[in-house]
Amino acid sequence: MSFAFHRPDSIDAAIAVAREHGASARFLAGGTDLIIQINRRRIAPEHLISLAGLGLDTIGETGSEFVIGAMATHDAVVGHPAFQKQLKALTEASAVVGGRQVRNIATVGGNIVNASPAADLVPVLLTLDATVELRGGAGTRTLPLDRFLVERGRTERRPDEILTAVRFDKPPADSATAFLKAGRRKAMEISVICVAAHLVSDGKARIAIGAAASRTLRVPAAEAIVEKGGRAAFAEAGRIAARQMSPIDDVRASARYRRLLVAAMVERALGICADRIEGKST
Amino acid sequence: MSRQPLDLTINGESYQLMVEPHWSLLQVLRRELGMTGTKENCLEAECGVCTVLLDGKAVNSCILLAEQARGRSIVTIEGLGDPEHLHPLQRAFIDHGAVQCGYCIPGMILTAKSFLDECRGHVPSEAEVREALSGTLCRCTGYQKIVEAVIAAARQLNSWPEEAGRAS
Repeated sequence: MSFAFHRPDSIDAAIAVAREHGASARFLAGGTDLIIQINRRRIAPEHLISLAGLGLDTIGETGSEFVIGAMATHDAVVGHPAFQKQLKALTEASAVVGGRQVRNIATVGGNIVNASPAADLVPVLLTLDATVELRGGAGTRTLPLDRFLVERGRTERRPDEILTAVRFDKPPADSATAFLKAGRRKAMEISVICVAAHLVSDGKARIAIGAAASRTLRVPAAEAIVEKGGRAAFAEAGRIAARQMSPIDDVRASARYRRLLVAAMVERALGICADRIEGKST
Repeated sequence: MSRQPLDLTINGESYQLMVEPHWSLLQVLRRELGMTGTKENCLEAECGVCTVLLDGKAVNSCILLAEQARGRSIVTIEGLGDPEHLHPLQRAFIDHGAVQCGYCIPGMILTAKSFLDECRGHVPSEAEVREALSGTLCRCTGYQKIVEAVIAAARQLNSWPEEAGRAS
């Protein structure tokens, strides 16, 4: 097992290396998943292209948007002052990715591109209607995250494309987000189910669920009844979400238990959002 | 074999090495440099015994390519203190009987150091310490005394902010 290690000095140079080597090349972000997959001999890339040092690790904002660089670590998300109030779910999700040692290296871009159905940050980003920015040989394009994700391990990313950033609108003051995770232990665990919710006091609702289907999914039918019915519809939204998921039995939990979790956690996450908007909880 | 030159800064010293691109930092520390204070176990970032500090932050050296540490500062347990000048965390682990078999302790101490540096003088709660150490497993299950030692070290670092070990 070995590979050539490339340290391009620009994004364009990184794309050129990827184009040259095609399917035998992989981009390296934090590597907390990729290196394990290589060590397990599940994949055997001949070229690793480092994305370090290309300026992709910043978390910035424009007038209307937040832009998280793909190489920003989960630790950087947790420590970011803008992700405390309305965007608290980002901090809540990044804070429970692996242990500290993983959060100090693992990146936001890696969490998205890896396309694990159990990725903790992805449901939160889906509730924020996030878009991903891709740069490749054919130029730059942006895609809604919801369209970018295809299924477990598969995205719309072309082999020579680098996910450079994820963007989302700044949420209004009278809005809130919440993230909940269920695992077998309280920390350092892969999600059995994770749920994100986003509510705006004008009625807009977003609900997304991880580890309950072959990809992280929004639940528009549940969102619609919350948009109409408000707090009185939270429990029904949970039941709808549970019916629409297609969880599997695995070593972490049974499909039946996962459905029960979805119903309970969706209701609870919506309740936390509503309490946060009303100032009843932080 | 396709060894490439790699300069690493470890415990404040520079090392000029020739490494294979797929070598982990752990492998370089233990096999190339004989720094066996950093332990090897699961090799999948589950257990934390291989923890080192990369630019001051705890990372799993088993799944970090040595190449990823290029140009960055690495601290291993060998660089934290010595028998005459123990870091307050090392002193507290001894004083609290927090060391049983000892295998997890280098990783435990470096994980705790990274965490306490982020606390910047605030003494963390027991729950915060337990969460902070969750990526580092002690199969002697000596967690109670480990947590007590970390809190004691935090108090000490807090009361004597000029403590020599703090800067390391």
